[in-house]
Amino acid sequence: MNSRTTGLLVAGLQLVIASVITVLLVPDHWYSDAIRIRMARWLGTPAYQQPVDTQAGFTRDGSAPLQASAEAVQSAPAAELCPPDPGNSRQALQIEGVPVRESLACRADNPHAVAAFVRGTNNVSRETLLAAGLTPDAVTKGADLDGDGDPDVIHLRLEVVELNGGSPDTDEPVTSFEVAPGVTPGLWAFAPKSFGMATVNFESNQAKDLLRAPSPTIRVEQGDRIQITLENTHYLGHTIHFHGVDHAFLDAAGEGNDGVPVTSELPLEPGNARTYELQPRQPGTMFYHCHVQVQVHVMMGLQGMFVVEENRPDNWLQTLNIGGGHVRAPSVTSLETYDEEYDLHFSDLDTGLNNRIQLSNNVDEIERQVNRAYNITASTSDYYLLNGRAFPLTFQESLVIVEPNQLVKLRVLNGGSVGLAFHTHGHKTTATHYDGVALQPAARVTRDVFWLASAQRADLELDTTNDGLHAFGSGVWLLHDHQERGVTNNGLGPGGNLGAVVYREFLGDDGWPQTSGENLAQYFQADYYRRQTTGEQRGTSLSTGLFLRLLVLGVAIGALAASLMSLFRLLSGRQATPGNR
Amino acid sequence: MRITAASSVLLLLCLAIPHAVAQDQLPGSPDNGVQQGSDHIEHDPRTMSGMQFDQTGMVMNANATELPRDCDEIAASHEFTVTVGRRWAEQFPGTVFGMSEHEFRVEPCSLVTVTLVNEDEVRHQWMLHGLPRYLYPQGMFHLEAAGGETRSGTFIVPSDNQTYLVHCDMTQHMEKGMKAQLVVGSGSGDLWSIPGISRDFRDSRQVTMLDLFLVTSMAVMSFLVVVFLGRSQPGA
Repeated sequence: MNSRTTGLLVAGLQLVIASVITVLLVPDHWYSDAIRIRMARWLGTPAYQQPVDTQAGFTRDGSAPLQASAEAVQSAPAAELCPPDPGNSRQALQIEGVPVRESLACRADNPHAVAAFVRGTNNVSRETLLAAGLTPDAVTKGADLDGDGDPDVIHLRLEVVELNGGSPDTDEPVTSFEVAPGVTPGLWAFAPKSFGMATVNFESNQAKDLLRAPSPTIRVEQGDRIQITLENTHYLGHTIHFHGVDHAFLDAAGEGNDGVPVTSELPLEPGNARTYELQPRQPGTMFYHCHVQVQVHVMMGLQGMFVVEENRPDNWLQTLNIGGGHVRAPSVTSLETYDEEYDLHFSDLDTGLNNRIQLSNNVDEIERQVNRAYNITASTSDYYLLNGRAFPLTFQESLVIVEPNQLVKLRVLNGGSVGLAFHTHGHKTTATHYDGVALQPAARVTRDVFWLASAQRADLELDTTNDGLHAFGSGVWLLHDHQERGVTNNGLGPGGNLGAVVYREFLGDDGWPQTSGENLAQYFQADYYRRQTTGEQRGTSLSTGLFLRLLVLGVAIGALAASLMSLFRLLSGRQATPGNR
Repeated sequence: MRITAASSVLLLLCLAIPHAVAQDQLPGSPDNGVQQGSDHIEHDPRTMSGMQFDQTGMVMNANATELPRDCDEIAASHEFTVTVGRRWAEQFPGTVFGMSEHEFRVEPCSLVTVTLVNEDEVRHQWMLHGLPRYLYPQGMFHLEAAGGETRSGTFIVPSDNQTYLVHCDMTQHMEKGMKAQLVVGSGSGDLWSIPGISRDFRDSRQVTMLDLFLVTSMAVMSFLVVVFLGRSQPGA
């Protein structure tokens, strides 16, 4: 046997072995259907295999965890649902002679701030101001012009705050305000003039309670002489436009008073202050917002509700309402008809805009990012907020808490970029005002979905009389936007502007609604809204067995090709081993 | 009486139509490639008499007496109790509806009695396909039990070595776990996609770029290694 024959034999053997291995190792699902059926007839149908792609952690529909992980979630600390309330701020209190109503959702608004907003920060004690975190000139109340026992000269000072902003030092958004667990989009908001730190304490990155979305609801009385001083504490220019609120185009000094850069006045530069003057002649639920680059500034959060109450004697108003929407010191007008009043401010945001302010610390670059690079017509909103938060955080703050046989006033504002299909479960509410204008009795429609276009307001009467029309009885009844994207956080439900009408008997001592459905603790895990699961992802994982199989298959194919080449060279008579050369 | 008859006919039509479509699409099913004609069943007296139907369920085409043409006598008797319900699906991840048995083996010309015990609160079925049509209209034997109910029925299988499809025909019940087979004699090969018995025909796993990259890169590497080894051994 010469070396050529040996070479042929070796190459041939190599070819046969490599071919057999190749054929055996090609995964079944690589063949066509017809071949697979034929192969199954010859060789038998392949045996059952456990699927490797079963997800663990969350269920197929994502709504409730599998049994095993449900137990794990059950053991999560219940304190996460409701943070402790060491200051007993939820109970009814008498502060500075102001009766502050109990507010039973688990995070209640600061009652000291409520009292200061009623009396005026110029009329309360230093202790109250310290407890409220407000400066003495934040909300000053002066002369009683019409002699009816309440102040009519009001001066507010609003600052512009940035939440979840950028930093040259850290990747973490600074002055943190979560709209949902683990979700901290950049936000701008008007806030009352406050003192001290922006965060709750020196160690924390968490914004204090006065600094939050949405911008506060402003409440004034019909005929009040109002000055609103915008102190621009932000690094970009801003204005305030009073949408629907009676105001002159120019102020007494002949300066622009409409807040519109295109027609009225230039944006207020950083570090400057400007005072707007209003004396509204008509009551109603209105709106205010910054009018600089509205597609950016309004959507960043510079928007709030503006309520003009009817003039009544001794009508001391809670000039600002910051937080979950419950009016803890309702107006005389409200109490004439209603048992409780809630301000429900709906909005939406696009993190594609809001997170741009975190990209850079250079103001020129931030301005370029939001005002030039961002294109609102090529974007969609991904978070839908009720009073600045998305579910599940809405359940800590923005519950409408009722008892049977009550009349409750809901002021609903859609400050978002898309329409709002405001829906209440278990109730049909009655519209009394649209855009601040009272409806004639015949026009007061009762229904369970109200459509509010962007910037529209509706005053709704929630009647909890269990008559099968206005209410169906006690319970935990959801309240939300019925455009289904509105109840998601970045497309993952449940989330968004999901709130609830909760009857007292269904409210736990800590303020958490006593629901009988899913375990809601799971939604406080930031991983849930990050779409993270603990198991392998469906269809994308490569099992170890298949991985090894494919590796060996590759080796066999390579050897097959090499043996073919060597055979070809030997048969064509050329020397395959140039080592002798 | 007329209403009952009419509704029975409607029901039979409803049952028959999906099968005419569905059966041939099952890969490896015994009837694969055989087109079913439309049967005139409206006034078939045997259909009416062979059917028990009330709110607890249904037994269709029960036959304990008439032998198939190719059988001289009943060769054996078999009784199977099949419990169906969600808990039986737990052992097969990815399925939701389950049955306690997924394979039934009998000799040719056997008398088979099946008892269907339904543990769920909704209807389930035990439906057998491919029986001779001269004996079983539409070629099927069908048990249906309402939630919490138990129904039994008997039939006689022909003499061929054949594997028959058994399933629940409610939408998605077969796909999501309630598929089984009746093997007569040595059978004609396992059907596909039977939990615990055979692999899903349509593997949910697709060929990915990662797979192809793995194979290609390994092939190139081994090709180069083999060629290099061949060159460095001049005697080979």
